Amino acid sequence: MKQKNNKIRIAIQNSGRLRESSLDFLKSLGLKFKITERSLITPCLNADVDILSVRNSDIPKYLKNNSADYGIVGENVLIENKSKLKIMKRLGFGLCSLVIAIPKKSKIVSPSDLRDERIATSYKNTLKNYLKKNKINASIVNIQGSVEICPSINLSDAICDITQSGNTLKENGLKILEKILDSEAVLVKNPYLSQQKKTYFERFMKNTL
Amino acid sequence: MNKIAPTILQGTRDFLPIEMAKRNLVMNKIKKAFEKFGYDPIETPVICPAETILGKYGEEGERLTYNFETAGGRKIALPFDLTVPFARYVAANYRDLPIPFKRYQIQRVWRAERPQKGRLREFYQCDIDIIGTKSLVAEAEIAKIIVKVFKELGFKDFVIKFNSRRLINEILKSLGISEEKTMDIIRIIDKLVKIGREAVIQELNSISISNAEEILEAFSPAESLNKTLEKLSNFDLKEIKEFLANCENLKVPTQYLEFDPSLARGLDYYTGLIFEVTSKDADFGTLCAGGRYDNLCSLFCDEDFSGVGVAFGFERIMLVLEQMKNLENVKLNSKALITIFDENSTSDSLNIYAELIDAGINCEIYFQPDKLKKQFQFADKKRIPFVIIRGPDEIKDENVTIKLMESGKQKTIPSKQLTTYLSEYYETEK
Repeated sequence: MKQKNNKIRIAIQNSGRLRESSLDFLKSLGLKFKITERSLITPCLNADVDILSVRNSDIPKYLKNNSADYGIVGENVLIENKSKLKIMKRLGFGLCSLVIAIPKKSKIVSPSDLRDERIATSYKNTLKNYLKKNKINASIVNIQGSVEICPSINLSDAICDITQSGNTLKENGLKILEKILDSEAVLVKNPYLSQQKKTYFERFMKNTL
Repeated sequence: MNKIAPTILQGTRDFLPIEMAKRNLVMNKIKKAFEKFGYDPIETPVICPAETILGKYGEEGERLTYNFETAGGRKIALPFDLTVPFARYVAANYRDLPIPFKRYQIQRVWRAERPQKGRLREFYQCDIDIIGTKSLVAEAEIAKIIVKVFKELGFKDFVIKFNSRRLINEILKSLGISEEKTMDIIRIIDKLVKIGREAVIQELNSISISNAEEILEAFSPAESLNKTLEKLSNFDLKEIKEFLANCENLKVPTQYLEFDPSLARGLDYYTGLIFEVTSKDADFGTLCAGGRYDNLCSLFCDEDFSGVGVAFGFERIMLVLEQMKNLENVKLNSKALITIFDENSTSDSLNIYAELIDAGINCEIYFQPDKLKKQFQFADKKRIPFVIIRGPDEIKDENVTIKLMESGKQKTIPSKQLTTYLSEYYETEK
């Protein structure tokens, strides 16, 4: 099954909570490969498939620009990127929720109290969507990570962030005010995928779809 | 001493800042849409030699064109539209212009009409034209732009009616109409929607057209695009079909396109496809219109430039948007008012003013210390959403208090966070 100039590229997270499970999923399809932490492009040994290890948040871009054919990515990333990529399969790992959290002793008791407050987040677009839907005007503090720290240093009054167990929130004196969405890892495909590539890859997918 | 009455001429208007804010918002959306397609703006003079304006718009247009004589005896006219000034502009400048040349032009024009709602004597038109190509890609681009503009402005239900002058001429010829009567008949058919079938037949009869019924029948559209094309299949429909194919490739949704063989457009100078946009969102008649003209520049120079363009009727578009309540939440320019608490805090307030200005936030300062209540009232009158307070407590704690005029909430934050707070404030209804 060799298709020399027409290799399939699958983009997965280069590091982080989806990485190992993504590799396990690819193995479960019957793909064989030797991957190290530093290899950015890993060819499969038994198929015309390359595994691209890239930044989680960039995966939708690779697919949209036709530079990768499939991707394994957190649904929350798709939503944040306003991506219209088609989800082929929900993968059942990387479960998490995007929540609004507030300090335990906050005066904020309901979402409408968020009006005019400062909300720190790395998920600006998703937060805006939420605010728009609930007609809440608020000031957004754009932070790329460790968002949980913001209320304790008076940089924000609330946060909007991903949580799995809720432990990090607790450790930082925060509690959940409202859940915005649930997310899990999903397999997505590029909208321009040729029939040839689709047929080829879906052979591997047969066992799982 | 007797004061002069502060009057303005009938059919002209003064605009308050809030009205200007709405107009600018709409105009900027229109400009942005034009610019997306690579159009650059030009301007032409307001006062023009009468001979460059008069005699190009048919009898009615001539009657409505403002013209007068200067003290020195020079005959002057004001532009009736922007198409003829543009044709003159191209004739004067084509050696320096990239051909095909496309431009947008947003300027006032003048018509001595009886003023009524949506019809002033002095008003804005927003024109786009492409000159120097006969390609029907130009027509399709115009259709694409029309859709873009009206969608950006929030219109839901609008339609671009189109037809071909060439086709009208051909149909009239097949019905035995002489060439000299063609233009008269076109002008009468053009009134079909306005005055109705009976009145059109009467008018046609009055210019001794005996087969008025037959003419109207020939021009009425069938129930669908394909049926209309079928009905007219004896005539040359190449132009219509090529235009539709180009629109399809340009992804102009067919729901916005309506082929109407009875559409005529009264102006003399059209020679090919013609357009007219109406909206069911509110009925103020034609919101945008235009078409292909082949010989307009040849009035002014030997070169022949075929062109196509449309004018957006800005005032009517404004009326529709007002009626749709699309402009209710328009804000004035100032986003924040920096108050002055007392003499001692003046320098501090000035510093904040400078900081916000330098951070690119539209804001203003109250010019002297005063009761906060009075400063809030001023902010309210100017629809300023944020009022910044820096009193002795705030100065002591290096804080700033923001009064949010809409919710009435007062929020105190570290003063160095103020620019971030304001620039990242997300308003859900814009």
